[in-house]
Amino acid sequence: MSNIIKGPSTRELMEQMARESEHLSINDRRDFLRKGVAAAAGMAATTIAGNSVASEINKANLPPNEPAWGKQLGHGVVEHPYGSPSQYEKHVVRRTVPWLTADSIASISMTPLQDMQGIITPNGLVFERYHGGVPQIKPDEHRLIIHGLVERPIIFTMEDLMRFPSVSQIKFIECPANGGMEWKGAQMEALQFTHGMLSCCEWTGVPLKVLLDEVGVKPEGKWILAEGADGSHMSRSIPIEKALDDALVVYAQNGEMLRPEQGYPVRLLNPGWEGNTSVKWLRRLEIGDKPWYHREETSKYTDLMPDGRARKFTFVQETNSVITSPCPEKPLVQKGFLEIEGLAWSGRGKIKQVDVSFDGGVNWVSAKLKGLVLDKALTRFSLVTKWDGQPWLLQSRAIDETGYVQPTLSQLREVRGGNSIYHKNSIHTWKVASTGEVTNVQIT
Amino acid sequence: MFRSLDSKLLKKSLLALGLGAALTLTGTAQAGQYGIGAKATPEEIAGWDIDIRPDGKGLPAGEGTVEAGEALYEQFCATCHGLFGEGEGRWPVLAGGQDTLTEERPTKTVGSYWPYASTLYDYIRRAMPFTAPRSLSDQQVYDITAYVLYLNEIIEEDFVLTKDNLASIKMPNEENFFVDPRPDVKNKRCMKNCADPKKLQIAGTLRGITPVGHFVEGADAPAASHDAQMEQEQHKEKVRKATLKGETLAAHGGSAKAALSEMATAGKSTYDGACKVCHGSGLTGSPKFGDADVWAPRIQKGMPTLVQNAIKGFTGDTGVMPPKGGRVDLSDKQVEEAVAYMVESSQ
Repeated sequence: MSNIIKGPSTRELMEQMARESEHLSINDRRDFLRKGVAAAAGMAATTIAGNSVASEINKANLPPNEPAWGKQLGHGVVEHPYGSPSQYEKHVVRRTVPWLTADSIASISMTPLQDMQGIITPNGLVFERYHGGVPQIKPDEHRLIIHGLVERPIIFTMEDLMRFPSVSQIKFIECPANGGMEWKGAQMEALQFTHGMLSCCEWTGVPLKVLLDEVGVKPEGKWILAEGADGSHMSRSIPIEKALDDALVVYAQNGEMLRPEQGYPVRLLNPGWEGNTSVKWLRRLEIGDKPWYHREETSKYTDLMPDGRARKFTFVQETNSVITSPCPEKPLVQKGFLEIEGLAWSGRGKIKQVDVSFDGGVNWVSAKLKGLVLDKALTRFSLVTKWDGQPWLLQSRAIDETGYVQPTLSQLREVRGGNSIYHKNSIHTWKVASTGEVTNVQIT
Repeated sequence: MFRSLDSKLLKKSLLALGLGAALTLTGTAQAGQYGIGAKATPEEIAGWDIDIRPDGKGLPAGEGTVEAGEALYEQFCATCHGLFGEGEGRWPVLAGGQDTLTEERPTKTVGSYWPYASTLYDYIRRAMPFTAPRSLSDQQVYDITAYVLYLNEIIEEDFVLTKDNLASIKMPNEENFFVDPRPDVKNKRCMKNCADPKKLQIAGTLRGITPVGHFVEGADAPAASHDAQMEQEQHKEKVRKATLKGETLAAHGGSAKAALSEMATAGKSTYDGACKVCHGSGLTGSPKFGDADVWAPRIQKGMPTLVQNAIKGFTGDTGVMPPKGGRVDLSDKQVEEAVAYMVESSQ
């Protein structure tokens, strides 16, 4: 650290650069200066490899000194026509667990929940799940066909879909395998991997009901096959009741067109249901009288029970919650005042209450819900307390508006065993050591 | 007031007023409320309507044999799924696994788990082979479906699978699926003395299997992406080999990579979409991307030979390269570019 303090002052560096750049053109000089300054500022930047790896502090930028950025000009408008996060936030990215899947094309990555604020997931951080990679679809060559047991089969262009009166709704999407690695025992040493197959956006599009009214579903139409345009041609059977209730055909998220990773130019959204049913790159909806029993609703996304039988059409993502601060990635570093925060969500409606336990579920206190509390959306909870270096077994327990109480791991395992992969929504435990280190443990 | 008006007249008057959205008031049963979108023609629907149902609805005309399926399976499927459906690497196991569903580690295969044979036809038709979806003919799908059913001892070797008999094939596990009964677990909201602290069992995680390098300094953990994990493994391998030779290696990431040629750069997207599945991990003996040692003897043969082998297919000592890796839709030029990309990145 001391060598940085002894380094040349910003003014000296600037003067040196100005001398060396005298022979350059105005544009070259601007580039040179920018690179030069970045290199100088890099003293602090290069050490930020991870979020908890301490960065070197250049005291020259601290009071009473005027910091470097106060003594020079920054870049102008449209330097970055589409902006990106600060260079100091490079650790806030999606990550995967490579051994989970055979390759990266049919795979999953997780949202860095440990770095999220509020309830909205930025578009670039929404978890990814592909079965055949991300297609690069040209929107004016994309079509959505609705056919089958309908009065009028219709083919829509994107322009057509965007002509319908639109709605915008904040809803979570969660992969039903979220937490699936933890059925048999604690495995993942990080929040991003225990709970990160979860994101929440404001989605904009047309209620599926509006489109179904447009084609006129025949009375015998009871199921809808949704199919994607990607190489996997992902397909799922959706009951007509869901379609008529709250399913949406969406083309935008968080104020901009869908990201390719999230189904650009259009996807289905089944609020509160397993993410896989919200078919991305949606190209076809067929109305039928029976389900199709395709691969992703038989071989996959069915829940194997201890007796060897399996549950099918396990659509709802049941009430769940997790403490996001502290967590393994965000250990406790200071004693004293502490705000414990976390996220709760339910596929059946609104979150009504979240409780927090410090002793592994023996005693509980009520947390406060903060910000928006919305139907089938992430809900942030908070509990203000003090930490004096005592070890904790931290848990959260959510209750939704139907009265459903998030179960314990023992309760889930008793009914479902350890091989059902999907829908593990049990109370999660973080062990907080007296050092402040946070680890993933299971209490039974 | 509006309701008493003739609906046609109302439409006209509203349109004249520019109140198109108000047309919802008329509620006509004949056309859609909004009249947006075009009629989908039978031809348009037929091209995309690829789904098959357990009752056979959607099956195209045709039939398939186990014998024809065997050859196709070896060409298009065995690389990932194994010669006998046993699965390579982490790719899905297709056969076997009977009576394992109640075991500690169940093997869910077509024969042990899948409830309907129609699902097999549907899935192969919509998504397989993995690197070239929708490239098989309906006939080929029948043949491969027959062969996979045969591998699972569901049909006999001489069985001819047809549009008319596929739905009648009974899968062994069909009866064992039932509709979601949740909520199945009832917890109560208890606030005080909810458990006996002495009886709590606390179990931690296995160390070293989670990618934690981004927040734990010096962790010897997997990387948090497939590409980074591959690089990490390759680097470890290089270090191991260098150590054997008594050399020391530059720090990970320290060596500057040579710039790629224009042709190699152009080949990256083809590589990502068509070649990476096998060459990224060295699946079934394919030369692994970035592994200079396994590429060296191949590169010695010269680019023209390598490119020809990639285009026409090649059987080597370590494995089989199908023509264009199974992606016959690729142009020769695209294959050549992808080969250049792999070669230049593996020296």
